[in-house]
Amino acid sequence: MDDPDVVVIGAGGDGPAAATRLARQHGLDVLVLEAGAWHGNQKWPQPHADSGGTVSTDPDDLDGKLMDDQITHREADSGDPTAGYLRVGPADHSRAPWFRDLHQNAFIWQVSAVGGTTTHYFGNHPRAYPYAIDEQDHWPDEVSYEDLVPYYQLNEEVTSTQQAPMTAREEVFIEGAKNAGYDMLDSLNVTETGWRPQANAVEVPGRETSNGEPLDSDYDGSFSYDDGFRGDTLVGDHFQGASTPVDAPVREKSRKSSNVGWVPRGLDTNENDDMGNVAVRPNTFVTNINTDDSLGGSEATGVDIRDTWSGDTDTIEADTVVLAAGCIESPRLWLNSGLPDDGWVGKGLTTHWFDWVVGVYDDETVESINPEVKHMDPYVGQNSAVRFDKPGVGGLEDIGMSPGLVSYADYLFTEAGYSFDTPVDPDEPWDTRGYVVGKELKRKMSNYRQTKAILVLTDDLPHQDNGVSLSDNFSDEHGAVPDVRYSPHEEDDRRRDELARIAANIHNEAGASHVHRSEWPPLLLHMQSSMRMGKVLDFAGEAYNVDRLFVADHSALSNGVGGPTPTPARRTRSASPTTWATGTSADSRPSTRAASPPFQFQGASSKST
Amino acid sequence: MTDDTNASTTRRGVMKGVGGLAALSMSGATISDAQAAIDGAVPTDPHTRDTYRAIVDAIVPRTPELEDELGPEHVPGGLDVELEKFLIWDFNHFQEIRSEMVADGDLLSGDQKMPRDMFEFDLDATDTDALDALMDLADLDLLDDDLDEQALQNHLTFGPVNRYKVNFENLDTSTKGAARFERFVKTDDEEYHRVLQNYPYASMFTFVFDLVAAEFLAKGNNEDDPAANEEFPGGGTFTRLSREDRLRCLWTIVDGGAVDRLDDLLSPMVTDVGILKYVVMACNGLHGFGYYTEWSGYGETKTNTPNERVMQVDESEVQSRQQSGYPGPADGYAADWRHAVDGGFDDPDVEDLDLSGDLTGDDVVVGGDN
Repeated sequence: MDDPDVVVIGAGGDGPAAATRLARQHGLDVLVLEAGAWHGNQKWPQPHADSGGTVSTDPDDLDGKLMDDQITHREADSGDPTAGYLRVGPADHSRAPWFRDLHQNAFIWQVSAVGGTTTHYFGNHPRAYPYAIDEQDHWPDEVSYEDLVPYYQLNEEVTSTQQAPMTAREEVFIEGAKNAGYDMLDSLNVTETGWRPQANAVEVPGRETSNGEPLDSDYDGSFSYDDGFRGDTLVGDHFQGASTPVDAPVREKSRKSSNVGWVPRGLDTNENDDMGNVAVRPNTFVTNINTDDSLGGSEATGVDIRDTWSGDTDTIEADTVVLAAGCIESPRLWLNSGLPDDGWVGKGLTTHWFDWVVGVYDDETVESINPEVKHMDPYVGQNSAVRFDKPGVGGLEDIGMSPGLVSYADYLFTEAGYSFDTPVDPDEPWDTRGYVVGKELKRKMSNYRQTKAILVLTDDLPHQDNGVSLSDNFSDEHGAVPDVRYSPHEEDDRRRDELARIAANIHNEAGASHVHRSEWPPLLLHMQSSMRMGKVLDFAGEAYNVDRLFVADHSALSNGVGGPTPTPARRTRSASPTTWATGTSADSRPSTRAASPPFQFQGASSKST
Repeated sequence: MTDDTNASTTRRGVMKGVGGLAALSMSGATISDAQAAIDGAVPTDPHTRDTYRAIVDAIVPRTPELEDELGPEHVPGGLDVELEKFLIWDFNHFQEIRSEMVADGDLLSGDQKMPRDMFEFDLDATDTDALDALMDLADLDLLDDDLDEQALQNHLTFGPVNRYKVNFENLDTSTKGAARFERFVKTDDEEYHRVLQNYPYASMFTFVFDLVAAEFLAKGNNEDDPAANEEFPGGGTFTRLSREDRLRCLWTIVDGGAVDRLDDLLSPMVTDVGILKYVVMACNGLHGFGYYTEWSGYGETKTNTPNERVMQVDESEVQSRQQSGYPGPADGYAADWRHAVDGGFDDPDVEDLDLSGDLTGDDVVVGGDN
């Protein structure tokens, strides 16, 4: 695609949704540039060993069996942040990952690849709390929760979002939540406190099976798509890339990460004369956003790129530039491009100020809840299938994962110090906290199959002292590297403590024999708000200070949407800002840029209360 | 990509191998697999190797005392699968330095070039003690008031190392590409020379840990008496600490102000000492990514570049998997499941959406910068 109307920077969680909407609804030609690799595309048969092709526009390039070969489901293969194939770094695996200047006990978890960090994700798809949109000063008045609902519904349809399956692990969580006095919520629009199944972008388990029998403990058929299996296979492999069912075409993989749910839909536009076109080009790092400043203001005109394999550089011109590179790379690129910064570019980063509360259960307890099984087996089912919500404070997610991730998240990631030196307040509902090492670590990991964790997701609020700037010390081939900082504020800590206590109580009410609070330091995942609407962007997602430059990723969010996993909001935003920007009909091309109304939502535009 | 020299089989190496053999025999590996693991070159110098071995030993130790409680498969620890190689490999692949981004000059200037001397380092303690060598490098006559120089001097040792040097190999800033580094480690009777594609952080951090350990002892923060540890003869001050004191010592980097007090002495080693807090996070966390994943099953390919790693042990058979009971990846599981909400979620169309008047939950705490 030599002359795109729009360049989208980043094919992660957000860029493909924005590109697809622009091509399908507005007839625009969109070139999506991605810094990382593309898994499951025939043009890149060895995406980490060989540069492969340049660009893909044909849905027939997608190859699910090739994806199966590349996504091995192994933990170290995939998730090792240095050596894994799902990491932030060049596709060339003989090279180091991209360096970030991080001055604290913290961990940034991102992926550069087509699909971005949704290649890791659990598929959790809850909506924002209406409270976080309609009742907080951190969300602009111009957009109400009701305005967002149609976009949620669209995205839920595209991604097969439905209630997650309850397996042995979830039954234990539900027992604890019920015993603690919480009711089940049956709504997607959460305004009360309670527990509910996750709304997951994962197809129903065993939608069809190879022998026509239901998928349950008696099922002895194949899990291969070629043998007729459809839907989720109940393996908790979503953090490893989730190429299941094996043999399925890419678009039929059960978990609808961005590379599965949106990218094929984007490429399909090339086979429809009534739509614009979408091209996706991996292995391409955008190093500069070009602007024309000759008329007084600043207007985006295109980008400079660098091929991550050859180092070759080029310039691509476009009528409109959309930044969807994520909460760290979007502001970094902005700042390295020398674009105007009036104090909020890169600032206000939120990350749900996570914590992690672990319960170990004895066999009898699990058996009393699940008479058929003795173990919870955290690797069976979906990684997170049940949750707790408390609008205004945050939420909890029940989590099961493979043991490498469990050992790290449960016992080897903390800000509390080593548990052998870390006292526990006897009034608190956990037995231990901090790092668990040595004999005790091995004892705990020997109980892996009877262990489950609850993730705390705090409704942390944006602060200008958190975020991304340019490093004073380090640069790489793309300019100064990002300097990333996040520290919770007192009110964020108070919310997190309350949620951690609720999580521990749920474990205790379910009969856990030991409860451990990991007391995480900042885990920079679920990042939001570093290029906020109302501060850096207007409500159309267009930069205040650069015309024709839009941000369509989570950095545009004004807050962390209350604590639910940000995925639906991310995709809603990615579908919507550029919709506002480019109008709501196909003939509203960027050349007639939406200078008129700041946003053009279809549907309600007033606040619901 | 890398060359190692002077790898010799020591008695300790053989003893370690015997431990490895015991573990491997339990995990179903063959004797030839075990021998291959023993013969595999340790891709670094003894100071680096033994410092990381001391960390592995503190976090995932051998635990003969768990045999009666949990069974024999719970005896081997991280050293039995050479987990130190995982930590060293990861830190040595932490950051690529590009030739075209390096120049003579000060910190990151307008052209975003990094100063050459940020990545070159020559610590010569041949004719002096370790602290004096560090003070010379840092151009210091006196230490900060918070530091007891005599006590630091008494405790600081880099073990058998008397010279550590890192420099660019044939740096040509007019060409583009990953710079290569030469690393020399000299002991009384051996010299280790290696060329690496990335900055050799793994070794550099071990000297940091020795200095932090010396300060830890100088301040009397240790709970056990330090003593030369015959398991880690290549190590310095850090490896002389007891298992728990090693971890307490690392924690002073995160939550004890150690890097602030030692900033002047550390600066020649690590330009931005704040990243050491991240490094301590990684020292702990890498045990999860290394030991408790299938990494050890790559056998002698485990420190190859990722594309060249090949599983050599069934994933359910690797040591840590036997200890956790995880069967390894599968295509699917036959398991009982149900939907919790009969008929699915209640999701009215927008026009029928009836949100309550007050959406504010209870216990809401106001904050943030609007």
